[in-house]
Amino acid sequence: MKTKFKYLTKQSLKKKMQTKWFKWVNIVLVILFIFLANIDKVISLFGGDYEGEVMVYVEDEVGSFDSFTSLFLENQKAMQPDRTYQFLATNENAEVMKEKLEENKEAIWVRLLFDETNYLKAEILSYNDVGTVTKGILTTSINSLKNMLAVTQSGLSEEEILALTMPPTITSMTTNPEVENEENKNFIATVASFIVMLPCFFLILLLVQMVGAEINDEKTTRSMEIIISNVSPQAHFLSKICASTLFVLLQGVLLLCYGGIALVSRLLFSGGFTIHEEVISGAKNILEMIQTTGILKTLGQGLPFFILLFVSSFILYAIVAGVLASMTTSIEDFQQLQTPMMLVIMVGYYLALMATEFEGAIFIKAMAYVPMISFLLAPVLFLLGQMTMFELFISSVISILFTWVVFHYGLRIYKVGILNYSSSKLWRKLFHSLKKN
Amino acid sequence: MLQVKHITKYYEQVKAVDDLSFEVQDGEIFGLLGVNGAGKTTTFRMIIGLLEPTKGEVLLDGRPIDYQVTDYIGFLTEERSLLTKLTVKEQILYYGILKGMKEKDILEKLDMWLERFGITEYKTRKIKELSKGNQQKIQFISAVIHEPKLLILDEPFTGLDPLNVELFMNVIREFKEKGSSIIFSSHRMEHVEMFCEKLVILVKGKSVLKGELKQIKKEYRKKNIIVDGDIAVQDIKKIDGVLSVENQNGIWVIKIDDEKRVDDVFQIVKKGKHITKFEVEDPSLNEIFLSKVGESYENEV
Repeated sequence: MKTKFKYLTKQSLKKKMQTKWFKWVNIVLVILFIFLANIDKVISLFGGDYEGEVMVYVEDEVGSFDSFTSLFLENQKAMQPDRTYQFLATNENAEVMKEKLEENKEAIWVRLLFDETNYLKAEILSYNDVGTVTKGILTTSINSLKNMLAVTQSGLSEEEILALTMPPTITSMTTNPEVENEENKNFIATVASFIVMLPCFFLILLLVQMVGAEINDEKTTRSMEIIISNVSPQAHFLSKICASTLFVLLQGVLLLCYGGIALVSRLLFSGGFTIHEEVISGAKNILEMIQTTGILKTLGQGLPFFILLFVSSFILYAIVAGVLASMTTSIEDFQQLQTPMMLVIMVGYYLALMATEFEGAIFIKAMAYVPMISFLLAPVLFLLGQMTMFELFISSVISILFTWVVFHYGLRIYKVGILNYSSSKLWRKLFHSLKKN
Repeated sequence: MLQVKHITKYYEQVKAVDDLSFEVQDGEIFGLLGVNGAGKTTTFRMIIGLLEPTKGEVLLDGRPIDYQVTDYIGFLTEERSLLTKLTVKEQILYYGILKGMKEKDILEKLDMWLERFGITEYKTRKIKELSKGNQQKIQFISAVIHEPKLLILDEPFTGLDPLNVELFMNVIREFKEKGSSIIFSSHRMEHVEMFCEKLVILVKGKSVLKGELKQIKKEYRKKNIIVDGDIAVQDIKKIDGVLSVENQNGIWVIKIDDEKRVDDVFQIVKKGKHITKFEVEDPSLNEIFLSKVGESYENEV
């Protein structure tokens, strides 16, 4: 039986991997990863309206042309670095300006007007809509200019004005040494969980589809009867779970490799050393942050349980998918049945994202013990310091035990389901099968 | 030798098979007949170990059916049970290995069978690309590749032309000669008559007729009298025990309820003109089948 089990597992893996589609999909994935990592370069390559210089005519009644342009450029650097603007002071009348705006449809006419009570009022005119980001930059710059004018007219000295406009120094401290660098830790935990959760979601989706489609195929072609007459349903079921889980883990490793390739491509395509250095310094900052927050230590402590949670949950999803597939007689029925399962993962995903915001929420913590969700939620809560090692251990044990129970009872349904081709009284038959050993 | 001993199978409250017993000796072809839903599939599933009988047992060479024993059973299902995305070679390897064979042996035998059925060129073709008849040949090869001791054939001639039916029949006879026990099921009674020495007819899971075909026919009281010539049909119809008189392509077929009526019929027939044939025949299996199944339903009503 062991030989047959090994053969079935090998065959199932072979069926998934020795296909031209597997190769094609992975080639497409590499290309997509590289594309996503260099999406800004791709956009720049094709050019577009954003490349043109935008002319900004400034009618200045308040004598702050230089201040306005420097404020604008400062804001633009942060909010819209790829765009270039040229400024020109103007005193032309409205008719002439309207003509100019019609000639150069991208141009903007900004009127900085004196206001007795509010120091400054402004008008922005353009032929087309200037766009949300540009409008934002203009508004922020005009507001800053107004503050500047108000402060200047207040009669304060230069030192006083400087002191007034300087942001205050805020030092945040906690007396509990364990919560040192909590903010950075939260940031790292959120980023890490986001990076881990998305591939997990994708891989589980793949896993569920793989198991379901294969079992469904064998069932609908009636070859299941021949197979099950030679190997036990248990061995057959396990072989599908093992093969699909192995496949998904392997695909996960491949995705990591593609991520690496995409990163290398980013470094290669970025051309100059400027971005190269930026990337390196960015990576250094993250590494420093990881070091100072002690998140690596926490990660190391929790890693065995994370692995247990991940593996048991992957197996759990495979079991549930297998049982559902055995109950259905067509792939369409299976696809409908698996939808709620996908939504369960979404629940875990959103709760994990909300964990930072709702710190210490009892509901989120309780959900971290619920199998099928715990593998997404418990590691995040542990990294955020909202779950202790013991609690993480309990969550892992619950997940493993639940997986075993589902396998034990699921197998009973599976045995009946794979030989059942009728949908009449299906639930009755399946509940009845649960009672049998 | 296959022994089916008093097997009963319930699906919840529904009795699918009711106290069924029969034996299939080595080198014997056994017919398992019944209308749709009579319990044949359930019986097959119990024989190949897919289902456990609620009561009774199934033994092959004295051993209860388990995963070692099923390696010696070949099963050709009524519906296609092939993984259509695989190639012929992959499919046969798949089933062969599940039967405990070695890859090398499977490939050797596969070449032999493909040649025998004249489909060597399809070895690397996907099953879904093959015609219905060729798919049936592949299904047949997958059932016999391991030279089973017990071969179950459920409607084996589906989708085959008369030439290929003949080819299949020869192969089945060879397995019989080699000593395999064969269970044969078909709705085509002429095929069953050609093959089976023994049979059982199932109605609603219960055996309504069982035994050797020759004996069944002999013991079946109703007979057919075949007459060629001009006869007084109305006089014959008046005889007690004459069930019907039909003209089939110029030949008169007189159905009687008992062999005892032959003499009465003969007395009338001999008064006729141009009589060239008077023959008493056993009824066909089809007639026996229809009669037995019909009786069972009538009794139930």
